[in-house]
Amino acid sequence: MFLLSICQWLDSTQLNAAMRMSNWFFPTFDTIHTLAIVLVAGTIMLVDLRLLGLSLRSVPIAELVSRIVPWTLWGFGLMFVTGGLLFSSEAVKMYYSPAFRVKLVFLAMAGLNAVIFHRTIYRDAAHWIPGAVAPARARLAGLLSLVFWIAVIAAGRAIAYGPGYDLG
Amino acid sequence: MADTIRHSASLIAVLEIIHLIGLTLLIGTIVMVDLSLLGLGIGRHPVSRIARELSSWTVAGLAIMLVSGPVLLSSRAVRYYSTPAFWIKMNLLAAALIVHFTIHRKTTYADPPVPRRRAGWIAILSLALWISVALAGKGIAIFQPPT
Repeated sequence: MFLLSICQWLDSTQLNAAMRMSNWFFPTFDTIHTLAIVLVAGTIMLVDLRLLGLSLRSVPIAELVSRIVPWTLWGFGLMFVTGGLLFSSEAVKMYYSPAFRVKLVFLAMAGLNAVIFHRTIYRDAAHWIPGAVAPARARLAGLLSLVFWIAVIAAGRAIAYGPGYDLG
Repeated sequence: MADTIRHSASLIAVLEIIHLIGLTLLIGTIVMVDLSLLGLGIGRHPVSRIARELSSWTVAGLAIMLVSGPVLLSSRAVRYYSTPAFWIKMNLLAAALIVHFTIHRKTTYADPPVPRRRAGWIAILSLALWISVALAGKGIAIFQPPT
């Protein structure tokens, strides 16, 4: 109930009223949010494919990750800000949206997977033999990451097909 | 087939999700190459090698787009026909594909590599075109003509 009351409070603010009344707010921020998928999921998928040995095999994993991570982080910042605003503009609706809840769960799982990976297996990354197959746990982390991020994208798209929406 | 798809919202949702994932692969890999052309990529690795190692995924992304796109189109052909954003997107897509498979390809795989300045401009052109395609695609959803 506590979460619900936060959502109800968000829906009662002036900012929320302004976002709802605006013609351009939702299309603009939704567009940025959708296109930023390429920055976040795109960069992450490239690293995952590399971990699985399916792409960019000539680039050492540690080097690829360190060059790509800034882009991923900026992209994530953009996602977080636009996503937060989009959420705040219809918080209660999102609270009751099954697809939105699923999306958050998979986001959390993707995050957890990334944190565990970076704190454990990845510690040795600089010592992995370039060009050779990555350790099994690294490959698993890459595969899980792909699955989780595809699920996030899918759940995000499914929000608009949930209850309370006009089917496009 | 169009009828089956039109009456199944979940089928359209699945197609759109596939279209989004294809977009991520296609534009993600192209962005990687363009950033390398701009000197912002993975540093010491030659662009031609990066592009070559990414190319199968670029093709995979393109294949996904070129299959899911027309299937989506077939489910709403009449509506798209009267949506300006759709036509804008198709024109931009044609331009992006032409640029990608001509001057962009030539620049990426040139040996010896093209001077940084010129490579940079072609990268910017490529990025601008593909981002515009994506924006126009989103525009189709936003600027729906009244049914």
